[in-house]
Amino acid sequence: MPTRIPRVTKTEAIVLRHRRLGDADRIVTLLTPARGKIDVVAKGALRSRSRMAGHLEPLTRTEVVLAHGRSMDIVTQAQTVDAFTALHRDLDRLSTGMYLLEATDRLTFEEADLHTVYDLLHAALVRLARGDGLQLVARTFELRLLDATGFRPEWSQCLSCNAAVAADDAAWSPTSGGVLCATCRSSRGGAVPIDSKVLRVLRAFQALPYEEAARIRLEPELSGHVEHVMHELMQALSEREMKSAHFVATARRAATRVAELPDDDDDAAATRW
Amino acid sequence: MNAFDGPGAESPITRLVEAFHRLPGIGPKSAQRLAYYILRAPDAEAIALAEALIEVKRSVVLCARCQDLTTQSPCRICSDGARDRVTICVVEEPLDVRAIERTGGFHGLYHVLHGVISPADGIGPEDLKIQELLARIRDIDTGVTEVIVATNPNLEGEATAMYLGRLLQPLGIRVTRLARGLPAGADLEYADDVTLGRALEFRQEVG
Ligand SMILES: [Zn+2]
Repeated sequence: MPTRIPRVTKTEAIVLRHRRLGDADRIVTLLTPARGKIDVVAKGALRSRSRMAGHLEPLTRTEVVLAHGRSMDIVTQAQTVDAFTALHRDLDRLSTGMYLLEATDRLTFEEADLHTVYDLLHAALVRLARGDGLQLVARTFELRLLDATGFRPEWSQCLSCNAAVAADDAAWSPTSGGVLCATCRSSRGGAVPIDSKVLRVLRAFQALPYEEAARIRLEPELSGHVEHVMHELMQALSEREMKSAHFVATARRAATRVAELPDDDDDAAATRW
Repeated sequence: MNAFDGPGAESPITRLVEAFHRLPGIGPKSAQRLAYYILRAPDAEAIALAEALIEVKRSVVLCARCQDLTTQSPCRICSDGARDRVTICVVEEPLDVRAIERTGGFHGLYHVLHGVISPADGIGPEDLKIQELLARIRDIDTGVTEVIVATNPNLEGEATAMYLGRLLQPLGIRVTRLARGLPAGADLEYADDVTLGRALEFRQEVG
């Protein structure tokens, strides 16, 4: 007997985004551990009496039952596992969460094995919700996402000649995805100088395990520069503007105390950069 | 061969089908059906439809104050002297104004954002009527003391509400949010009047 495609499957998923389908339905983009990134249909999700809609909001970890459909699977049940509610009490956490979703969506393809990406996104959302430093969570997530999707940036060796690049005399190119030495920088278009402190932070965030990276304490101004470099890199790789990266910065600027970045925890033993 | 796959992309029928197809919720089959219907309808009916389309584009403008759709600016609600002028209810779309008006439970003024912060769809705060709202509130003469953010109870609506809270609270404005009487992920447009009325009654301070 030929093996049949199971008509109903159950999976956990993180909801990346959704879009309208007709008057009442939605197409929901899910990131799943086993099936990667998939689009599914949530019928009636736009109706206020929909019992599923709240369980299929972006930034929710949910368990779904999917019925095999012709072009797309159809959600028959959805139950929230973790709504990361703490993110909904702080605009900077919420905007950063939205950014993590967009970054994940932009750098992944359907039909790719996204086990690692799922674990990374899940861990990052948990850390974000429990109050870890925003910059720490966002930057370490970006760097590990780039590793997992084959876009690992090069912060130490010249992309052109492989020579070790000194932090205090480096240039970088967002489109090339890394640093260039003093000799090679003129041969590549689009290379701009990069601050040595920024580069050291990026090297550390890329190399250190999360718990050790968490001990690095960044001054607001420096962490703003690091964020800027990473946002530029992410936008260059996704080949278009990332509105959520913009929103992270806009929301922070709107804060009453503009000078104070929402930042990493006070830790007496932390390394100051 | 029928009239629909006739003389190429330039034919008037194809143009009409494509125009219908661009409308929200209209698939290619429905677009063909609508075009065929117009084709067979009496001239007067087709002309009435065409005139209605032109008329709506000519006469409907945005209210200079609340940004709602109107045929006269300021709109009927903004010019109504009986309304409470110190409270502004901020909504995503003009249809949401109609929905809240139907509850009969709100007597203040409105402000229509024409969308919601939704980075995934390429929409940031700069794409909404937020500057217009700030200008209204900064204008001393308006004396606004409270802004009720009635965006939809979903991620985008919440991000928008929190962002507005961050902008407005430093101006000494009380910023409230509709209570979660509405199920998460729902669309305000589809809410029933009882639910919506209750949500308005139990609005809360933005965190
Ligand atoms: Zn008006």
